[in-house]
Amino acid sequence: MAQNRNKLIDLFISNLSNAVLHRILEKAISDIEIMQKYSKEIKNSWQIALNYREKINPIDMPLPNKDIEEIKRRASNRVKSDLLIRISKGYKNIDISLIDQFINNALKELRAI
Amino acid sequence: MEMIGRVSRGSKMDQVYIPKNRAGLAIGNYVSIKPIDINISIEYAQSRKPVFYKLSNLEKIKVMIIGELLTLILANTKNVNNIIITGSFLNKGFSFNDLDILIIMEEKEGQDRLKKLIESSIGINTHIILLSNKELLEGISHDPVFEMMLSRYVSLNKIIYKKKRIINYQFLDLSLLKSKPLIDNFELLNGKEKYYLTKNMVSILFFITKKDLSDKIIDKEIEKLFGIKIERLKDNLIEKNKFVKLYQEIYNKTQNLLFTKNGSK
Repeated sequence: MAQNRNKLIDLFISNLSNAVLHRILEKAISDIEIMQKYSKEIKNSWQIALNYREKINPIDMPLPNKDIEEIKRRASNRVKSDLLIRISKGYKNIDISLIDQFINNALKELRAI
Repeated sequence: MEMIGRVSRGSKMDQVYIPKNRAGLAIGNYVSIKPIDINISIEYAQSRKPVFYKLSNLEKIKVMIIGELLTLILANTKNVNNIIITGSFLNKGFSFNDLDILIIMEEKEGQDRLKKLIESSIGINTHIILLSNKELLEGISHDPVFEMMLSRYVSLNKIIYKKKRIINYQFLDLSLLKSKPLIDNFELLNGKEKYYLTKNMVSILFFITKKDLSDKIIDKEIEKLFGIKIERLKDNLIEKNKFVKLYQEIYNKTQNLLFTKNGSK
C-alpha cells in the first residue's frame, strides 16, 4: 500500500510539474492571440494531477507537511530544470521566480494544502 | 396572407416578430403558428451553396445536418463572416466524436448559448470556437492543428488565404507539452485521448519540418511510425511498452528540433 502511495505521489508530482511548467511558459508568450484556442476537452496535466490527488490519502484533508515539503521540492527542481534548458536555448520572457508561487497556488487549487 | 417569421427569445415569453408594414394580420387578430417544413430550411441552406473543400462523398444525411446547422447559426447570430464545419464529423461513417464549428465574427459572444441551442436542436455534442478573421489567419499560420482543420471542411463562404507558416518555437513547444502526459499516464488515458495526443505531437513534427499536413497524412504517419492501425489506437487496444518507448523517442526528437531551431534562429 505504501508503495502504491509513493507511486501515486510520483505521478502527482510529474503532472503537477508539467501543469506549472505549462502555466509559466504560457505567461512567457501571452502576446500570441491565437494561443491554444483549439483545445479540446481532453485530459491535460492539470486534470490528471487532480485525478491522482483524489487517490492520495488523506483525500479530504491537506496532505501531511512531510509530503508537501517533498512534493514542493521535487516539483520545483523539475520545473526549474525544464525552464533552464529553455532559457539556455534562447527562450525569452521566462520568469523563474514564479515557480514557487505557482506551485503553491497549484497545490491549493488541488486541495493538497 | 401568410408570413414566415423566426421565434426569438424573450425575457418572460418568447415571440415572433412581424413587419409593421403589412397587408392583413391586424392588431388584435388571432393567428395560428406552426413550424415550417424542414425542407424549407434545407432549401435555404442549399441556396447559400456551402463550400465543400476536399470532400467528395459526404453522406446525404450529413449534408442535411449541415444545412440545418448553417440555418440555425445564421438565424441566431449577428454579423457572421463565415461558418466552418470541420473535424471527425466529416469522416466517412458515423463514428464521429462531435461537431467542430468555427464561427468567424468580430463580436465574439454567445458561444455557450449557441452550443446549447445546436445540441438541443440537432442532438450532437458540439465544440464551437468563435474567432475574428485576424485570429483565424494567425491560427492557420502558427498552429498545426488549425492547418489540419482546414485541410478539409464545409464552409458558408469560400476561405481565401495565403498559406504561409510562421514557426514560433515557444508556442510550438507549449503545444507539444500537451502531448507529454501520455508518457507517464498511459493507463489513465482512453484511446481517443491517446490518439489526440499522438496526432498533436506528430503534426508539430510535420509542421516544423515543413511537410504537408492533413488528418489523412498524419493518421498514415502514425500508423507508419508506430506500426499500428489508427482504429486500434482509438479503441485503446495498443500494447503499452513498445508504444510508449517509440512515443518518447518521437517526443524527444520533436522537442530537440524545436530547441535547436529556436537556438539557431
